Amino acid sequence: MLDEKTRLQKALAREPVDRPPCICPGGMMNMVTRELMEASGLFLPEAHTDPVRMARLATAASNARCFENYGLPFCMTVEAEALGATVDLGTATYEPRVVGYAIDSVAQWERLPPFDAGTGRPGVVLDAIALLAAQGGSVPIIGNLTGPMSLAGSLLEPVTLYRELRRNPGQAHAFLDHLTDHILAFGLGQLEAGADVIALSDPSGTGEILGPALFAAYELPALARIITGLRQAFPQAGIIVHICGKMHKVFPLLAGLGCDALSFDAVVSLKKAREHLPQTALMGNVSTFALESGSPDKVAALTRHCLECGVDIVSPACGMGNASPLANMQAMLTTVAGHTPGKNHARHSDS
Amino acid sequence: MNDKHGLLQHLSDCVVNMEDERVVDVSRAYVDAGHPALEGILEGLVDGMNRAGALYDEEEYFVSDLLLCSDAMYAGLAELKPHLPESEKRARKIRVVIGVVEGDTHDIGKNLVKIMLETAGFEMYDLGRDVPVEAFVAKAKEVGASLVCLSTLMTTTMTNMGRIVALLEKENMRDAVKVIIGGAPVSPAFAKKIGADAYADNAVSAVSVARQLLAAELGQMARDSRDA
Repeated sequence: MLDEKTRLQKALAREPVDRPPCICPGGMMNMVTRELMEASGLFLPEAHTDPVRMARLATAASNARCFENYGLPFCMTVEAEALGATVDLGTATYEPRVVGYAIDSVAQWERLPPFDAGTGRPGVVLDAIALLAAQGGSVPIIGNLTGPMSLAGSLLEPVTLYRELRRNPGQAHAFLDHLTDHILAFGLGQLEAGADVIALSDPSGTGEILGPALFAAYELPALARIITGLRQAFPQAGIIVHICGKMHKVFPLLAGLGCDALSFDAVVSLKKAREHLPQTALMGNVSTFALESGSPDKVAALTRHCLECGVDIVSPACGMGNASPLANMQAMLTTVAGHTPGKNHARHSDS
Repeated sequence: MNDKHGLLQHLSDCVVNMEDERVVDVSRAYVDAGHPALEGILEGLVDGMNRAGALYDEEEYFVSDLLLCSDAMYAGLAELKPHLPESEKRARKIRVVIGVVEGDTHDIGKNLVKIMLETAGFEMYDLGRDVPVEAFVAKAKEVGASLVCLSTLMTTTMTNMGRIVALLEKENMRDAVKVIIGGAPVSPAFAKKIGADAYADNAVSAVSVARQLLAAELGQMARDSRDA
């Protein structure tokens, strides 16, 4: 039997494994629930700003036999806040959210403050990763990055952003390039601190909003540059990209992205994704609605469906709701752990 | 080409092609030629926005395209509206309150629904995002809304939708106010569960769902305006 880190690394590399890993990366793909906070005695929003609390809360889901990884931070506002957005850190129930933008137009990007990964909340994240890494062990540490379009839409009103991608392409490219540099620097910092895997989530960079033309012009090159930059410095690191929404119009574009795994939300058919992306590890996509409001049996059935579709890594389809019951989260891992690779399974049958 | 039919087609095309500057020139040419503003709005600008909506439904257009089309529509509307006859400016429209529920700031979908409902002739009151439960009910009461549209993209915040329906019931407003919900985590089953009237799957279908729910009121208004 493989340990959790080895299994995840092999699944990301599409090497044979005994069974797929069951993970939830953290970041946008939240895995902190009320029951996990109660079980660990560590609560949000305090854990957003304290490296010791953040590191300990990041282990709660693994300790409770829900997921086979540590994941942090617990939101997607860290980079935006460091770049001048006003953030409300929320409560134990509500996630942190941007309440004030930093700029009014892409053309003002030069006004953004310099990004320093070592201070503020980025510094908290790096310190927390270092604490987890120092602890050692076989559970993989996943560090999270907010993707370029989502970060842009946290610094600037999204409707203005989407409009200016067309109306002011020169400045829009300069703005996104600037953000891409910072995201890459923060990712390198996370790997330096000891993260094993980086999950880069860009829910706003979806083909459903951008369409194929803007996706190809802005989103793909920015993601590719981050992935390449991370790879060049840390060739052994695993890289997961998560994008929300309908993606079938841009599947062919994703094949050349260069990440290890792609993660989609529950509206994407894994079977269809597999047809277009035969070489990429696929991660997903157990409905977070079912995880929050369904029964353990329902969650187990959805998990089995993902496995039968040939998913390489089982995970929730999106960020989990705060009220998701522990029993539902545990049903995912129990189902995956009991899974015997069968003939429907894309790759694990040969192991 | 100053004939009415050609100009209407041109107005419509400006919206579909996202030409927010040219649409101003065409709108002025249309008014200068003495054509009626109402027809220019409905058969030019609104027609263009409906065509854009159909392209969105067919996945030829995407969210960002629809936003730019609406910019062109609103630019044209700003030119044509001052030329509407007084009776038309005063005409009563069905009032709709819309917003993203508290705890959530994802408002792209809500903005699209607002645009398409406005295009369909509803009078929109947009509360924005991260809107407390009570604010929806207070606004609906204040403006005499017939419809409340609730949006969220997060499972954590969808429970607030049920609270809004419950508060409308408590205030005895439920007979007069219909509720439509939308957003990635919600569904027709969830709408039923919380006692909302309907679920709308996207901005285009929100218009047909709203028309269906408000068919009686829309029919009555059509009869009133004919009699007036």
